[in-house]
Amino acid sequence: MNTIGYKIKKSILYLILILLGLTCLLPFLLMMVNATRSGSEIVTSFTLIPSTYLSENWHTVSEYFNLLKGMLNSLIVALPATFLTAYFSAMTAYGLAMYKFKGNKLIFGTILVFMMIPGQLGLIGFYNLCTKLHLVNSYIPLIIPAIAAPGTVFFLRQYVLSVLPPSLIEAARIDGAGELYSFHRIVIPVMSPGIATMAIMAFIGSWNNYLLPMIILNKNEKFTLPVMMATLRASTDINSNQGAIYLAVAISVIPILLVFAFFSKYIISSISAGAVKE
Amino acid sequence: MNWKKAVSMALVGAMALSMTACGGDSKESNASAGAKDAVGTENAGGNAAEGGASSGEKLVVWTLSDDLIDFGKRYTEQTGVEVETVVIEPANYPTKVQTALLAGEKEPDIIVGEPKMLEDFYDAGFFEDLDQFGAKDYADQIVDYVWEVGQSDDGVQRAISYQITPAGIYYRRDIAKTVFGTDDPEEIGKLFADYPTILKTAQTLKDAGYRIFSSDAEMNVFSGDSAWVIDGVLNVSQSRYDFMDLCVDLYQGDLTAYANQWSTPWLQAMAGQVPILSADIQSYADDSVDVWKSADEFEEATKDMEKTEVFAYGLPAWGVLTLRDHVKDTSGSWGVCAGPAYGFDGGTYIGISSQSEKKETAWEYVKFCTLNEETAEWWIKFSQGDTVSLKSVLEKHKDDANEVYGGQKLYEFWLQQAEEIDISKVTRYDQAIGDAWGNAISAVKTGEATKEEAVSDFYDKIESTYPDITVNRE
Repeated sequence: MNTIGYKIKKSILYLILILLGLTCLLPFLLMMVNATRSGSEIVTSFTLIPSTYLSENWHTVSEYFNLLKGMLNSLIVALPATFLTAYFSAMTAYGLAMYKFKGNKLIFGTILVFMMIPGQLGLIGFYNLCTKLHLVNSYIPLIIPAIAAPGTVFFLRQYVLSVLPPSLIEAARIDGAGELYSFHRIVIPVMSPGIATMAIMAFIGSWNNYLLPMIILNKNEKFTLPVMMATLRASTDINSNQGAIYLAVAISVIPILLVFAFFSKYIISSISAGAVKE
Repeated sequence: MNWKKAVSMALVGAMALSMTACGGDSKESNASAGAKDAVGTENAGGNAAEGGASSGEKLVVWTLSDDLIDFGKRYTEQTGVEVETVVIEPANYPTKVQTALLAGEKEPDIIVGEPKMLEDFYDAGFFEDLDQFGAKDYADQIVDYVWEVGQSDDGVQRAISYQITPAGIYYRRDIAKTVFGTDDPEEIGKLFADYPTILKTAQTLKDAGYRIFSSDAEMNVFSGDSAWVIDGVLNVSQSRYDFMDLCVDLYQGDLTAYANQWSTPWLQAMAGQVPILSADIQSYADDSVDVWKSADEFEEATKDMEKTEVFAYGLPAWGVLTLRDHVKDTSGSWGVCAGPAYGFDGGTYIGISSQSEKKETAWEYVKFCTLNEETAEWWIKFSQGDTVSLKSVLEKHKDDANEVYGGQKLYEFWLQQAEEIDISKVTRYDQAIGDAWGNAISAVKTGEATKEEAVSDFYDKIESTYPDITVNRE
């Protein structure tokens, strides 16, 4: 095994992987560096040496809006939405995959069809509905619809079919576990890598969502972070706000990084968990 | 097939249930919102906001320019009526307004628009008829073209702007004296009378070691003597081709400083000497010099290049504000003269949402922003030189000498220019078609495409963007 050829092969492999890793990290690094530079510096070709405009950029940002308030608003929307997406999608997926009932295929087919309809199409109707329900300017229309996430259901259904042997559930039933109990105590732990992946996606999607909050929210103090950040672009002197935009973006990705760090633990640890002995 | 029936029954049941539930909800929340109002508590919730909207003491303004934040504050100070100003990024403003108003949103009392979106807004019926409040009585107080832009096709007044934005040519008086022996705006205006004269002027300036413009797009605001679309047919008039030729000649004849509008060297040239960049740098083919660089780095990168000074800029009236921030040492040696045609660009038009429940109060606000002499006086001072639309105030300030322009009386000039503007050539397609034409010009001047190819691409673009416009290829 430890021949020279093997070592060379391995070094080349690692070199390529390191390069790939750097390529992935570079945009993040660039964003952090740009957050410390002035607008006119940023529009220069890129450098990785931080500059000294961090506090000025922060000042510009706070002149336009309260970044922390925006983050809080975004969290109020994104956390429940993520939880609802993850929990209910997992439940639906499990139900569709493991229970045999009439119409199962039909429901699954319907879900597939709905995956293909872009949400923007129904924007005016959705707004109309929200007006009638008195939900404009509220976070509810941004959170509750997250329960129905056809894409996530589809992914998790395929996932649960591949990782969850029916005999596991049968064993639980024989031991007297109720359906909900076995879902919570057995299915969710087994599915958690898939759920974690989809939760990360859902969180990022909800956190970065711009169009819907922009349409639904009409009050400055209720705006979520992306809507607030867009007002930086409304300035006449766009160049001077460049640094501030980078700073706002850099701060706004922190929660995404945190969520990722939190969920990635589950992705790794659960891959080996919860199998059946053949 | 039993389960199908069961499912459909369940669905219908669920729908009916949710509907009754909603009905109950809305009544209840209306009532509770009303109750909250009665005790005067402020609640940030959606229901309370709607309730607040009917109390008559608060106006909601949806705008795309942050100017109105200051107008709103002043209005509250003077009248005690609370004004909530929501600023939405200009690019998404039409989407927001269209979605909300088409869905019957009653919240905004005041909505605004730029000329390029107004026509769509009028057609959709977003703007309330202002004539019913007696807007007609004010017709001769506002500069004519602004008044007309604020009218829908049926001649009903729907929006009014507080500013005018006629275009003019900003030029350096000191260079004019050296090269042409005069700095009189009338005389200099003759040097920009038409496109061939501009080319001649450009050559004269080049021979004297100057450049006429920083970019080749300066005459954009004056281009076109007829509308882009007439009766649903795309109209590319001779003047559009003339303008294309002018840009190409300026560019290929080495007559500009090869800067792009709003780039660092373009702004720098307002303060004096700038290096003459090469055509490759402008089109980014040569990236040895980065034109968006900060001033110091830019100077370093171009120190070996030939330097020149730029003679003129073509900008609307709000260019006064841009120049104010960038002229530095050349302050006082600027002048403004008329261009080859009359044009205007931008402007925020204020109107009342047709779904507002407080139109009377909203009309007071519109009057305050646009028809109130005192507000106009305040805005001139507050904005440090924006040009207002009230004739009486412009008259009053017509003897105001602007020191940046060697004491030239700018308000008088803008008023003259604005009086000549013909708005019949403004259409809702201007932005998109103008941009497409600009791309065609760029392609021709850099040699990417021949004129025929570029024009043909332009037609393709228009056909695919607006299927309802008839394109007659020449």
